[in-house]
Amino acid sequence: MENRLRVLRAERQWSQAELGERLDVSRQAVNAIETGKYDPSLPLAFKIARLFGMSIEEIFDDGFDGDTHE
Amino acid sequence: MNDPQNAKDLEAEGNIGRPLAWMAFAGLGTVFTAGAIVGVIAASKEDGSAFSATAIGIIAVFVAVIGALLYAQWRLARRIAASGGELTRRERLNRNIMIACAVMGGIIGLALSIVGGAMPSEPLAIFSDSPLPIALAILLAVFWGVVMPVIAWFWHTRAIDEQEAHAYRDGGYYAAYAYLVGAPAWWFLWRGGVLPEPDGVAIFATFAIIWTTVWYWKKYR
Repeated sequence: MENRLRVLRAERQWSQAELGERLDVSRQAVNAIETGKYDPSLPLAFKIARLFGMSIEEIFDDGFDGDTHE
Repeated sequence: MNDPQNAKDLEAEGNIGRPLAWMAFAGLGTVFTAGAIVGVIAASKEDGSAFSATAIGIIAVFVAVIGALLYAQWRLARRIAASGGELTRRERLNRNIMIACAVMGGIIGLALSIVGGAMPSEPLAIFSDSPLPIALAILLAVFWGVVMPVIAWFWHTRAIDEQEAHAYRDGGYYAAYAYLVGAPAWWFLWRGGVLPEPDGVAIFATFAIIWTTVWYWKKYR
């Protein structure tokens, strides 16, 4: 899953450690999410969204473009 | 503070898997080289004569190798520490637990090697199934069956984050399937006379190695 976490973090000039501290996860977890190697749980995704004041969909993109109510 | 415009720096952030693996290999190399020195000294003592020039030369080479490995570990540790900023709270706790476990393991290993050296049948060697003194057997069982689960519970609930827990679970799946597939297959082949009798310690070691390898790969890839 693609995401904008690295860009959002860079805009705030936070290191991975600073973001990890705010999310209570390790630098490795931040790196794994940023590089798309690990998709966060729903609680962590909400935590990330709240931290940046955005919705989950504005940060994470699962590539789905269609209508879910066919 | 990292420069957000420096994409190369950002790319390098947090990717500590490779230096960590090299550090582990260098640590193992240090232990094995130290063991080789002990072996050379023991062999020289068995001869009953003074150390030969060859033995001294070999020991000197091994000491140099240990020095190089320790230097490499120091450099790698600095590289890891500099990656992605300071350690987070969870990482500090994780690191401290690992250090405490390593120290405890070292003390137990040292004590066992001293006790084992005084025994005739080397019951403490890896894969040995020789009888143990009852006090030592109980001590080892208490450490493995009581102390270690407490540390593991603390580690799982306080130190690791969800990404590491995920990696750990994946490692468990791979190890469990390897066990479910491998152990009965070995058992059948033993009954058919193809393989020697299944060895519980070898199965346990394989299980642990697969679990650890997958955990590491999933966490640091």
